[in-house]
Amino acid sequence: MGWSAEELPVATLEARLARLRAGMAKAGMDAFIIYTNNTRPSAVAYVTGFTPYWSDALMLVGKIGAPVFATALSKRVSEWIRTTDPLSEIVNTPKPGTLMGERLARDAAVKKVGILEYDTLPSGLADEMTAAAPAVEWTDGTALFAGLRREVDDAERGLLAKADTMTIAALREAETGKAKDAGTLAGLVEQSARLAGAEETYIAVAPDLAADRRLNRTSQPTPLSDRFAVRASIAYKGCWVRRTRMFAKDAANADAWFDGVVRSLEAGKPIASQLAAKLKDLPGAALTSWMAESCTGSYPLSAVASSRVAAKDVPVNGQFLVLTVELTLDGAPWLGAAPLVVGRGAL
Amino acid sequence: MIADQRRKRITDAMQESGLDALLVYGNAWQGDYLRYATDFGILEGQALAIVRVDGHITLYVDSPLEADRAALDCPGIEVVLALDLVGEVDEVLNRMRNRSMGSAPQRLLPRRIAARASELKMTDETGFVDRLLMGKLDSEIAAIRKSAKLADAGYRVFMQAARVGRADYELVAEAEAFFRANGVDDNFQIIGVGGVEVKGMAPPSGKKLKRGDMVTTELTPCVDGYYAQICRTLVVGEATSEQKGAHALWRESMEAGIATARDGVTAADIAKAENDVFRKYGMGQYTTSEFTRVRGHGMGLFADTKPHILEDVTTRIDAGMALIVHPNTYHPAVGYMVLGDGIAVTMSGCEVLTGTARELFSVAG
Repeated sequence: MGWSAEELPVATLEARLARLRAGMAKAGMDAFIIYTNNTRPSAVAYVTGFTPYWSDALMLVGKIGAPVFATALSKRVSEWIRTTDPLSEIVNTPKPGTLMGERLARDAAVKKVGILEYDTLPSGLADEMTAAAPAVEWTDGTALFAGLRREVDDAERGLLAKADTMTIAALREAETGKAKDAGTLAGLVEQSARLAGAEETYIAVAPDLAADRRLNRTSQPTPLSDRFAVRASIAYKGCWVRRTRMFAKDAANADAWFDGVVRSLEAGKPIASQLAAKLKDLPGAALTSWMAESCTGSYPLSAVASSRVAAKDVPVNGQFLVLTVELTLDGAPWLGAAPLVVGRGAL
Repeated sequence: MIADQRRKRITDAMQESGLDALLVYGNAWQGDYLRYATDFGILEGQALAIVRVDGHITLYVDSPLEADRAALDCPGIEVVLALDLVGEVDEVLNRMRNRSMGSAPQRLLPRRIAARASELKMTDETGFVDRLLMGKLDSEIAAIRKSAKLADAGYRVFMQAARVGRADYELVAEAEAFFRANGVDDNFQIIGVGGVEVKGMAPPSGKKLKRGDMVTTELTPCVDGYYAQICRTLVVGEATSEQKGAHALWRESMEAGIATARDGVTAADIAKAENDVFRKYGMGQYTTSEFTRVRGHGMGLFADTKPHILEDVTTRIDAGMALIVHPNTYHPAVGYMVLGDGIAVTMSGCEVLTGTARELFSVAG
C-alpha cells in the first residue's frame, strides 16, 4: 500500500529520525544500520514507511541527510519503493552490504556504527559490510532502537487503530455462520481484511478447543466445533495488530471481562499481578497463561513478557502491546488476544 | 509422507558426505532449507534446526505462537522455544564442536553463529542442500502438480474478480480467499495494472482498474509446502493489436523455452531459447536486467528457488526438476507483460503442469 501524507506525515518520520539520531549521539554512534526483509519489516517501516514484499535490504542512517536504502530488488521496482517511502535515497545493488560498507568507509569521520539486532544480521550482508569497511567498529544497537519504540506516536496509533478496525470486522465473519469448516473460515477472515485494505494477514484457527487449544494456520475443511477460536494477525502500512477470539455460547462473560482488562491495564504495575487481581471479577476462572507482545525492532510482534518466562513485565505509559490470555473457565478453555496502548486503553 | 522421505534423503546424503550434523536456518521469506529438514512452514520470527545423521532433528523457534504451530505440524521432531535463539543454539553448537558439522544457507545464517564457523569447523553446505532442493522426489513433483492445478483455478477466480472500478488489492483478496478455502496455506502474488508506464509487478497499491488497462499477475500457491507458479496477462476490455502482437511474441518465447527444457540442458540453454525469440524480432534489449529479472526459475519449497533461468547460469537441468518458464519483461508499446507456465523436467522433455490457456485474456471493460 502506498505512503499517505495524511496517515504518516513527513514531519512524523523526521521526528522519528531525529530521535534515533539523538540516541546515536548519546551512544557515540556515527551511523546506524537497519536490516529488513518481508518477515522483519518493522524497523525500516517505522523510519521510512517502506515494507518489502520480497528480498532483503539495508538502511543506513547517518548523522545528517536522507537515510540510504540499499536493496537487491531491481531498479524497475524503485518507482514502487518510492511510492511507499518519501524520504530515502534508494540505491539498487546486487550487494547491499558492500554498498553500505563503501559508503561508511568513504567518510573518515565514521568510526563506530550501530546495527539493529547485530547478532542476527544475515551473515552474507555482515561479511560484505565488514570487508568493505574494515576499520569500522560495529556495535549492537538493539536496546537503543527498542528505547525509541517504548511509546507510540499519534501517526502509529492511527495506523494501528485502522489495522485493528479491519481485524475486528474480519473476525466477525465467524459470527455469520457462513463457514462450517476452518479453511473456509480462514478464507472469509482473510478476504474481509484484504478487501478493507490489509496488506498482509496471518489467520490461525483452533477448530475444536475441547480437543486442542493451539491455533494453527489452516486451509483444510476441518469441521468447526461448538467451541473454536480464530487468531487474525493483520498488517496495514507496516503496522501489525493481533486479535484472538473464541466462539462459544458461554463466551460472553469472559469476553467482557477481557475487554475490561485491556481497557484498564496500567503502567508501572506487573502484568501478572494486574491479571491476578482482575481475575477475581470472573468467577470460575483460572489463569492458564498470558503473553504481552510488542514491536521493539525489526519483527512486527514479539513477546516482551509472558507467564512462560521470567522477564520484566511492567508496562510503561504509551506502550503498544498485544495481550494474549488463556483461561480455564468452569473447566473449559477460553482464550483471547487484543491490542492496547498502555494507559490509554484499547486502540 | 513426503517429510519422512525427505528426512531419509537428507540423512542418507549426510552419511555419504561424512556430516554428523547440519544446521539449517529459515524464516517466512526463505524457509525452504528449514522446511526440507523439518517440514515446518514458519510464519513469524526465525528458526534454526539441527539435523543429526541418526535422524534426530531439533527445531528452535523464537516465537511462542510458532512453537505451538511447530508442535502441531511436526510431530516427529523435537521443538524448542528459544526466545534467545542465537544464544541457545550457540550453546548447543559448543557442545557439538567435535562433530563434523555443516550449515545452510550460509548467507542467511545469523552473523553471530556464522562468525564462529571456522572455530566450530562448520562448513558451508548450502550447495549440498541446494542439490536436494532442486532434484525432486516423485512425491514432491506430485505436490507441485497439485499446486499447479490450484494456480489454474486461482487464476480463474482472479479473472472473475477483475472488472472496471475494482482496486488491485480486491483482486488479490478474492484469490487469497479462494486459496485459503481450498487447501492452499500460502500464496506469493504480485500484480501490475496499467499501460506503458508499468515497468514490473509489485504488491497492490490501490490502483483501480480502468478500460484498456493490462493486468499482469503471478500467482504462486503452496500446497504441503510446495509452490507452483503461473503468470498471465489480461486486458480490461478488448485487447489492441499491439497488445495482441506483443502477447504472440511472449508466447513464442515461452514455448521456445519449454521446448528446450529436458534432462541434460543448462539453465542458460532455456534462457537463450526464450531470448532468441526476442532478438529475432529486434527486441533483444528487453531481455536484459534493465527490463527483466529472470527468464524463469525453479519451483519447490521456495517460490523463487534455484536455478534461475538466465543466459549466464550454467546449472545443469536434470529430470525431476520443476521450473517456471516466464519471459516476463517490458514492451515499449504496451508496458510490462507476463506469461509463464510451470513444468516438470523429464528425460526427454517436460510435463507442463499448468493448464490455463496461453491467451491474452479480456474481461468486460
